[in-house]
Amino acid sequence: MITDVLMFWFLALVVLGSGLAVILFTNPVYSALSLVMAMVGVAAVFVTLGAYFIAGVQLIVYAGAVMVLFVMVLMLFDLKRETHSFAAGKISGALKLISVGLFAGLVVGGIVMSQGYFVKENEKSLGAASATQSVNTVAGSQTNLNVVNTDNTKVLGTVLFSKHVFGFEALGVLLTVIAVGTVALARSKGGTHAKH
Amino acid sequence: MQSTNFLTEVGLNHYLILSALLFVTGMTGVLLKRNIIVMLMSIELMLNAVNISFVAFSKYLNNVDGQIMVFFVMTIAAAEAAVGLAIAVTIFKRFKEINIKFFEHLRG
Repeated sequence: MITDVLMFWFLALVVLGSGLAVILFTNPVYSALSLVMAMVGVAAVFVTLGAYFIAGVQLIVYAGAVMVLFVMVLMLFDLKRETHSFAAGKISGALKLISVGLFAGLVVGGIVMSQGYFVKENEKSLGAASATQSVNTVAGSQTNLNVVNTDNTKVLGTVLFSKHVFGFEALGVLLTVIAVGTVALARSKGGTHAKH
Repeated sequence: MQSTNFLTEVGLNHYLILSALLFVTGMTGVLLKRNIIVMLMSIELMLNAVNISFVAFSKYLNNVDGQIMVFFVMTIAAAEAAVGLAIAVTIFKRFKEINIKFFEHLRG
């Protein structure tokens, strides 16, 4: 129990620290390295939440694919010296920081005020559902697919390919469009500004 | 009672607050940085923050739908990074610079 708590605070420190480092470093390569650290921290947070498969996917997709993309594009540009790393204008910068701080206070305040309201509501409805479920278990309805142990990859696959199969196919179409569009965009010579 | 429990008992609220703070960090990056690639990195941070709260709700509500949403968010994030970096490459080919102020000259 105590290891869980220590783990959470350690991971929170790592994730928030490397998240801050992403925006505080002026060298973009250091920012990219901090982002890798933040992604690995987020994957570890997923492990503490029991989402093992999601954690693996997070490591492969973010720490693997997306970061390789970022670092490769960074190396493609010659960005050793970066002038004007932060937005100009002290007043507008201060306004932005103030608005961001107000937003953070609002969200955290809302979370603290809610005091686990969602979980309590869900337990109430779960109690009602299990009462009705025992009556019609023979029907094998879809409802028992939702209320399961969430650290089970098999259940994840079953729900993905039954209840959310349309979203899955739509993502396939979207990825095809993105792949073709990205290649077309990167090959175009200056777009509408093309000289020849 | 509130303060001792907050440190020693980790619950849904802790994960939600962590998610909110990470989201705000990414938002600060998008607002304040002028390098387009670091802005894209900050957007990735914001998407990850949302993923943390999805998975936390999924665990504490015993509902696997949240993890499916995380799949979708990850796919969209990867696609968005690819397109954003392609646009950055195009801008760099034209202006030899990827500072955000050169996006002012994007007239059709």
